[in-house]
Amino acid sequence: MSTYKLYYFNTRGRAEIARLIFIAADQKFEDIRYEHSEWSSHKNEMPLEQMPVLEVDGVKLPQSGAIARFLAKQFHLAGKDNFEQAKVDAVVDTIADAMTQFLPIRFENDETKQIEMVKNFFANELPKHLQNLEVLAKQFGNGGLFFIGNNLTWADLLFYEVTETLLGLNKNALDNHQWLKQNRAEVEKQPRIAEYLKNRPKSQF
Amino acid sequence: MPSYKLTYFNGRGRAEVSRLIFAVAGEKFEDVRYEMDQWPAHKAEMPLGQIPVLEVDGVKLPQSAAIARFLAKQFHLAGKDNFEQAKVDAVVDTIDDSFKGFVPTRFEKDEAKKEELTKKYFGEELPKHLQNLETLGKLYGNGGHFFVGNQLTWADLLFYTFAQAWIGVEADCLNNFSWLKKNRAEVEKQPKIAEYLKNRPQTQF
Repeated sequence: MSTYKLYYFNTRGRAEIARLIFIAADQKFEDIRYEHSEWSSHKNEMPLEQMPVLEVDGVKLPQSGAIARFLAKQFHLAGKDNFEQAKVDAVVDTIADAMTQFLPIRFENDETKQIEMVKNFFANELPKHLQNLEVLAKQFGNGGLFFIGNNLTWADLLFYEVTETLLGLNKNALDNHQWLKQNRAEVEKQPRIAEYLKNRPKSQF
Repeated sequence: MPSYKLTYFNGRGRAEVSRLIFAVAGEKFEDVRYEMDQWPAHKAEMPLGQIPVLEVDGVKLPQSAAIARFLAKQFHLAGKDNFEQAKVDAVVDTIDDSFKGFVPTRFEKDEAKKEELTKKYFGEELPKHLQNLETLGKLYGNGGHFFVGNQLTWADLLFYTFAQAWIGVEADCLNNFSWLKKNRAEVEKQPKIAEYLKNRPQTQF
């Protein structure tokens, strides 16, 4: 039985997907959260001086995508065979493509510029990624409400998590995407996730 | 025995890592290559209107990383257990981080701006990522020349092909990174890879 320690800032960000996987799988982990002021004294403990980092039986693993995929595979939330796991990875990569465009907005300091970037993102960028996600769900979802194979996988959890942030900025972001809204509703009502969402600290990102 | 069809442009780009995986594994596949003017006629055939796409027994899979990881797992080039696969994924994610800043420097149309972006990328950005890759190689490589566990994995193949793109622009970019140079040399001398490199089409990208 392995011991797991997850290191990140005290926010959702790039670690929340890992936290959701632990919760969905009902697995214990040490949820270490550093305030920004603490982080500089711990930076050189991390392989790439970045977080999140997952420590498994004392060995450190960086990179949020690698961490989440590892945990999903450990806890059977990654797809039931190699090809199904590939479909899950394809959906995850498509979600990541959308968020890569979002990232410069998140870190823009000029407020006026940021508002403009947000408007442009939701009007001109996000729609094609949402369209792509619906295409993949129709191809891989076996007619159900989850992205792949009619079972919850970390692709559903990741979509839930990133859209939490997007909906916080624009509550109408999914209005033209019924299937995606239903997918989120399905994730939210999983018992352990519902409990976790009720109790977790609120954060904008 | 599954049938594999890989569709991409007539170039290395985001498909070459998969072609290298097939070559190392000694596995057959249909290597479909579109010239730029042929592509528009086929765009609508692809799930997300993008390539590369891998077709496995008639089912199409988009997203270059999902494709490569699937093939690597099929042919035992992904790491020997879940945690080792996670280390490979962490290296792959770090290689991707390195490559992100490179793409805009290639597509910039303003010559003066392109030169400035390229100088900044090779002078300031890439070295940080290469340092991180050497850190991971030393952390996970068990003292050998490959990134993870003293064996060739797709992380080594991905680094090989992306670094070729960098070297094409800036021949000296690995001069301060002897571990990474040795890693590429080790990849190049694998018999099946040496053979493949000798015979593959020479393309612009």
